[in-house]
Amino acid sequence: MTNIPRLTSAVASCLRIAISWMSGDEMNPAAVAQAVEDIQGDDRWMSQHTRFVQECKDAEPEVLFIGDSMVQLMQQYEIWRELFSPLHALNFGIGGDTTCNVLWRLQNGELDNIGPKVTVVWVGTNNHEHSAEQVAGGILAIAQLLTSRLPKTKVVVLGLLARGEWPNPLREKNVAVNSFLRSWLPRLGHTQFLDVGAGFVHSDETISTRDMFDFLHLTAAGYRAIAKPLIDLLLQILEGTPEEKRASLV
Amino acid sequence: MALSTPRLLVRFLGGRNLLYGGAPFPSEQTPGDSKTRNEETDKVMSSGDSNPAATPTPCVDIQGDGRWMSLHNHFVSNSKDKEPDVLFVGDSLVQLLHQFEVWRELFSPLHALNFGVGGDETQHVLWRLSNGELAHISPKVVVLWVGTHNHSHTAEQICGGIMAIVQLIKDKLPKAYTLVLGVLPRGKMPNPLRERNAQVNKLVKDAVSSLPHASLLNVDPGFVHSDGSISHQDLYDFLHLTPQGYQAVCQPLHAHLKGLLEKQAEN
Repeated sequence: MTNIPRLTSAVASCLRIAISWMSGDEMNPAAVAQAVEDIQGDDRWMSQHTRFVQECKDAEPEVLFIGDSMVQLMQQYEIWRELFSPLHALNFGIGGDTTCNVLWRLQNGELDNIGPKVTVVWVGTNNHEHSAEQVAGGILAIAQLLTSRLPKTKVVVLGLLARGEWPNPLREKNVAVNSFLRSWLPRLGHTQFLDVGAGFVHSDETISTRDMFDFLHLTAAGYRAIAKPLIDLLLQILEGTPEEKRASLV
Repeated sequence: MALSTPRLLVRFLGGRNLLYGGAPFPSEQTPGDSKTRNEETDKVMSSGDSNPAATPTPCVDIQGDGRWMSLHNHFVSNSKDKEPDVLFVGDSLVQLLHQFEVWRELFSPLHALNFGVGGDETQHVLWRLSNGELAHISPKVVVLWVGTHNHSHTAEQICGGIMAIVQLIKDKLPKAYTLVLGVLPRGKMPNPLRERNAQVNKLVKDAVSSLPHASLLNVDPGFVHSDGSISHQDLYDFLHLTPQGYQAVCQPLHAHLKGLLEKQAEN
C-alpha cells in the first residue's frame, strides 16, 4: 500500500481549507448559497425565482435591484413607477430572503443574459441565525459574485435600516453590519456602500409607524425618504458611464 | 396540552358528545345525526381547550425587536382617541391594505381603523382582541380577514379559530356586525393551501349562516385564471395583493360595507 494517494489527498484538503478560509465560504454560513425550502406548501419562493429568471430572458435592465422584502415592497408603491421604472430597473426582491437565498438566486439564473450598469443590493436584515460579521461577509460575497459575473456593473450596497419601535439588539446588529460593510466594500472594485437610514430613529430613540408601518417595512413616506439619496447616486453612476458621456458628445 | 387517555379514546371513537355532557343540544344525539355532530365539532373547534387556532395566544418575540407587541400596544392606545365606524382586523392582507392609496380612497371616508399585523394567525388575532384592542371603541362593523397563515392547523381548526373571533366580537361589541372575508387563493399554481383555504371558506360560510350578526363575503374577484395560475400582477408574491389586486377586492367590499353601515344606521 503506497502513501502517495493519501499524501496527495491530504495536500488537496489543506489547499481546499485554505481557499475556503480566505473566501469565507466554509467559515461563513451567511456566504453559503441556499434555496428556500417550500415548507408552507405553495412553492411561492421558487415561483418568484422562476419568474425572475424568465424576466432576464426578456428584459434589458440598466438597473437591477436584488434583495429581500425591503426591495420587493418598493415595487408596489407609486415611487417605483415615478423614479425607478424610467431608469429601466428590474426588481428581484423576495420577502424573507437572507444573504444565502440571494446568493443562490444569483447563481441559478437571475444574472443570465442581462448587463445592468448598476446593481443595487439590499439584504441582511433577515439573517437571524448569523452574527453581524457573518452577515456582512454574506453581503460581501454577493458583491463579489456580481462584480465577477457582470464585469460592467457598479454595485451599490444599501445599509441595513434600524428596526423595532425601541432600541433593541437587532438595531445594534444592523449598525455593526453596516460598520463592517463600510470598511470592507471599498476594497472591492466597482462597489460602494450607501447609508439610507438617516432620520428614521428619532431623538427619543423611537421609530415611527409613519416611516415603518410595522417597525421594519417602509411606508410610502419611508420609501420617499430613502429614494432621494439613492436616485441621486444612481443618476450619477448612470450619467457618468463612458458610453453615456460619449453619446452626449455626439 | 396533552390529552388524557380517556379523552384520546373519545376523540378516536368520534364520541365528542361525551366531552360536553352539559351542552344545550337536542336530546336525541345519535352518531348518525350529522347536524348535532357538526354542532359538537363546532363547539370543540371554537373552544380554546382542544383547538390551538382558537386559543388566544400572543406572538413570541423570536427575532428580538418586540415588533408584534409594539404594534398591539399601538392599536390599544390608538383606539383610545378614535371613534371608528369600521374596524379592519387580521393579518398582512389587512395591514398592507392600509399602506396603499385604496385605503384613503375607499375606507378612510368610512371612518375605518386598521388593526392588521403581518403573519398573524387566528389565535394571535384572538389574543389581541381579548387584550385591549376592542376596549375603547364601538365600531358598527368589524371586517375580519385572517386564516391564511395558520400553517400548522387544519381547515376545521382554522374555521374554529375564526368562529371564536366572531364570538369574541359579539361578546365585547354586542351591536357590531362582523364581516368575515373569505381567505384568498395563493401560490402560482394549484396546491394544497388553495384547497385548505377554500375549505375554510366553505366551513365558515356554513357556520355563520345561522348568525344574524355575521356573514362571510367572498372577495376573490377571480384571481385564478383558466389554466389554474395566479398572476403576479394581482398577488405580487402569489400571496400578497398588489395595489391593482386590492382595487379588485376592495371595490365590491366597499359597496358591501356601505350597505351594511346603512342598515346598521336604520336599526
